[in-house]
Amino acid sequence: MITFEGVSKQYPDGTVAVDNLDLTVPTGHTTVLVGSSGSGKTTALRMINRMVEPTAGRVAIDGSDVRGQDPPVLRRSIGYVIQQAGLFPHRTVADNIATVPQLLGWPKKRARERSRELMELVGLEPGHASRYPHQLSGGQQQRVGVARALAADPPVLLMDEPFSAVDPVVRGGLQDELLRLQAELRKTVVFVTHDIDEAVKLGDSIAVLRPGGRLAQLDSPERLLAEPVDEFVEAFVGYDRGVRRLSFFPARQLPLRSDVIVTAGETAAGARAVARRTGEPWLLVVDTGHRPMGWVSTETLAAAADDHDVAKLELVGYGHIFTVSTDSLRAALDAAVLSPAGRAVGVADDGTALGAVAQTELGSAIWAIGSDDEHSTAADGHG
Amino acid sequence: MAEPAIAAATSAEPLWGRAVEAWRWGRHNLDDPVGPLLAEHVLLSYASVLIGLALAVPLGVLCVRFRAFYAPVLGSVNALYAVPSLALFFLLLPYTAFSPWTAIIPLALYTLAILVPNVVDGLDQVPHHVRQAAVAMGFGPLRRLLRVELPVAVPVIIAGLRVASVATISMVSVASLVGLGGLGGIILTYGFARDFAAPVVVGIALSVALAFATDGLLVLAQRALTPWARDRGPARRRGRAARRRAADTTAARAGEGAAA
Repeated sequence: MITFEGVSKQYPDGTVAVDNLDLTVPTGHTTVLVGSSGSGKTTALRMINRMVEPTAGRVAIDGSDVRGQDPPVLRRSIGYVIQQAGLFPHRTVADNIATVPQLLGWPKKRARERSRELMELVGLEPGHASRYPHQLSGGQQQRVGVARALAADPPVLLMDEPFSAVDPVVRGGLQDELLRLQAELRKTVVFVTHDIDEAVKLGDSIAVLRPGGRLAQLDSPERLLAEPVDEFVEAFVGYDRGVRRLSFFPARQLPLRSDVIVTAGETAAGARAVARRTGEPWLLVVDTGHRPMGWVSTETLAAAADDHDVAKLELVGYGHIFTVSTDSLRAALDAAVLSPAGRAVGVADDGTALGAVAQTELGSAIWAIGSDDEHSTAADGHG
Repeated sequence: MAEPAIAAATSAEPLWGRAVEAWRWGRHNLDDPVGPLLAEHVLLSYASVLIGLALAVPLGVLCVRFRAFYAPVLGSVNALYAVPSLALFFLLLPYTAFSPWTAIIPLALYTLAILVPNVVDGLDQVPHHVRQAAVAMGFGPLRRLLRVELPVAVPVIIAGLRVASVATISMVSVASLVGLGGLGGIILTYGFARDFAAPVVVGIALSVALAFATDGLLVLAQRALTPWARDRGPARRRGRAARRRAADTTAARAGEGAAA
């Protein structure tokens, strides 16, 4: 457990970075410090490993004041992941990972073995061990950064905007990876970000800091989105917090229509019959492997010759899809909003189409959440 | 010597004739002045550069740690650089007489004007996040300097060494005016003094060859020391820029060296 008790940091020029912060970071949980620039979130993080010294108050790990330890010694017991990875350019991946074990004086062989273990843990190929950081992609570098922080198996892991320098797709992958690692390792993680979505995805609890370094709200992600304490927090979490909150509800509860699917090879006449039977203005065309190809409208069907293959008609892109078993209502809603047909395509884990859901059905599902909000304990479907 | 043959060659192909003449003279005098003077040249220039480096690294580190020192230190080494080498050699004569130090001390001091800014640039270009990461991993200040900052600065420092060593090899010859010039001695004593072209050509050719060989050695040293920088665009560009900058600083001095 990490505790901040009345912690402040005032610089000689009078700037206050952190103002009377009281915060408890429970052991084995991920606590996200979130705030705009100037909210003191990084300063607060760095007080834990004494890269910044508070001007008032006390920071303690498991009850003992961090100032009781020599800074380099203290830091070797705390993992640290920095933005842009901060890898040592002159050391190989394996040596980068073995940095702290080497500082701790582990025998060479053991440090090497530990490097290998960690590369596997964070999903790096063993062949990368003898490469240099600049030979890796941004995402791989960040994985090395995480492996290096975990090398000496520290109970506490500090992460300072670790994923903000990589592109959104890679970032998503790294976030998933961190969730997986954390489920396995149960470290006490303090994570700094300015991205509320990242905070909601990764945090067991979120501390929102306001400019001037004061704590605005400390809560679970769901509570933060459902009940921001004031206008500042509400503005910070975004006026679309209602939509964001949908990420806590699973998409699998949605009614999917599979009768609007036609398979490639079906004739236009056959498809017209399906459209008539279902009364739907759009049909989803899938290939013979049952993967979505696109939407076909009843107008296009009406204009086509009877024996024309539906797959060869003019199809409208299906946009983005959601995975029924793992995605949230938010992903489904997003897919529906972006779909030219106004319908979201739900797929199984293997990418085959299960069916489509129209915006009206999504609306009912969302309304249902709102109506039983008082008793709901929506905890699954994280992300 | 076959005087008529040389005369004929000179009139037909003057350059070729000179080269042949120089080659013969050089071979004939390899044991006596050429070999020992080449060795002296190597000793004087390498010792100067190495001593210069040994001074430049701590000075550069000091300037990076305490920024306020940088301007005065840079001003001093540049002012030193502006003092004509000949004057320094003569100034030192009463103290160090005709020992090699009379040449090595001024030449080592001259290298500082190139090496100190290179050490500072090299340390400055260690990315901030790398330094921060080193602090956060638990490196103390000295270990951080020795294991992270200086190794990362090596390409820029070697770029400076390349310029400094070529400039020094060229400047050593000036010291022949106080009897300590390595190959300059061949040029001065055997060439100009006796109005004889062959020793001048030999002196110049060996001096240039030594500069090339030294530069090659440094390139090899860099490849061996920094395998991580080998195919790294930005670092190489930085190295090149540093070398260009250093080359600008040395332009005037190199002119003086060449004139000797």
